[in-house]
Amino acid sequence: MSSLEQLRIVAFVCNWCAYAGADMAGVSRMQYPTNVRLIRLMCTGRVHHGFLLRAFLKGADGVLVSG
Amino acid sequence: MQLTRKQTDSCIECGECTGSCPISRELSGFSPRQIIKRAMIEPDGSLLHGREIWACLSCAHCSERCPADIDFPEFIRSHREEARKAGNSPHESHHGILQAIASLQTRNIKQQRTGWAEKVGAFHDTGEYFYFVGCLPYFDVTFRYLNLFPLETAQSVLILLNKMGVEPVISNHERCCGHDALWSGNEAVFRKLASWNVEVIKSSGAKTVLFSCPEGYFTFKNYYRKYFGDLPFEVVHMTEFLARELPGAELTFEPSSDAAITYHDPCRLGRCSGIYEPPRQLFQFLPETQFVEMERSRENALCCGTSAWMECSSCSKAMQMERLQEAAQTGARTLITACPKCQIHLTCAQSGTDMDLKVRDIYTYLLKRLSGDETHSK
Repeated sequence: MSSLEQLRIVAFVCNWCAYAGADMAGVSRMQYPTNVRLIRLMCTGRVHHGFLLRAFLKGADGVLVSG
Repeated sequence: MQLTRKQTDSCIECGECTGSCPISRELSGFSPRQIIKRAMIEPDGSLLHGREIWACLSCAHCSERCPADIDFPEFIRSHREEARKAGNSPHESHHGILQAIASLQTRNIKQQRTGWAEKVGAFHDTGEYFYFVGCLPYFDVTFRYLNLFPLETAQSVLILLNKMGVEPVISNHERCCGHDALWSGNEAVFRKLASWNVEVIKSSGAKTVLFSCPEGYFTFKNYYRKYFGDLPFEVVHMTEFLARELPGAELTFEPSSDAAITYHDPCRLGRCSGIYEPPRQLFQFLPETQFVEMERSRENALCCGTSAWMECSSCSKAMQMERLQEAAQTGARTLITACPKCQIHLTCAQSGTDMDLKVRDIYTYLLKRLSGDETHSK
């Protein structure tokens, strides 16, 4: 599990900015690593620190909150 | 399990348990007597599938008074694992973060558990005394919103110990004691946490383990022995240690302008461990301090309303308000407890009111009253 590509990253992303950014990247055919799993929220204000711990508990190696 | 079944068979149906139960006063229909009776008729029946199994606070009011010596809390606890397997889970408070924190500690993780101690005192990796800090570092980051700093408790304990000439072991590898996992039907988590702790304490070479938390003390004293046999160290509660050692230590306390103080007996320290006197002895060291008892104290003390971070409800709030009002009625303006959770729960209930009552933990309070101490914080 040394390689960065093998790590499992959960990303909580805001519908209006980070998710739109990821969408834009896709539309522009830019590559981003496939080991990031996006969870779209209508606002990152919805994120409770319980979510972050739960992600780690379920086996995530890292959690990204973006919004 | 067999033991508990044998015990329940001796129920004489007097109803003392239900009459004593603080939950059954708030939640009509909750009756320990009937739960036991139903479990005898159909052992795998409604108990495993209903909400009642999670409503019990395990406060031990019932078992304290039971003439047939039935340990109702233990009876409930021993069925919770099965209830979970049957898909009946408790409502976890605070989005389940405290359960997640405990589960994460079963893994080989790197913790920062000693940062708070470096600032205030001396401690070592090996030595005769081990100070078991428990969940305080995690509570400290979780309950800032209540304007509470549970690490103050740990800091006060360390400063007091240092002043008494004890430089304890405090370990970065310590884990949650597993009390909550055990009482919410997660025995696997409890076993892992407990075996970590036993190893960590063994490797420190400590002969005595000191606990500021009643739950840690109770769990080590009863359940660690049950699961791991005799422990190679002695388990002592900080209030016991202080009551025994303070008279010989050259520490003096100052009078204060605080009005009277009162004390809330935590379930795990009082009814479950029988430690009523040591905390009260500590108040006698405080000069010009009027100590008053609440109407219900010692074995009759009301529970703080929630256990194992689950099932916090209107019932919990009602009990907490009742307890706060009882404290206020004594005329005391400071309510002292020896349990971080009681302090958190009572502070939470008080936060929505205009009650003029300070909820303090016993170690922070003692340190505040110590002569010539400028180190205490916030």
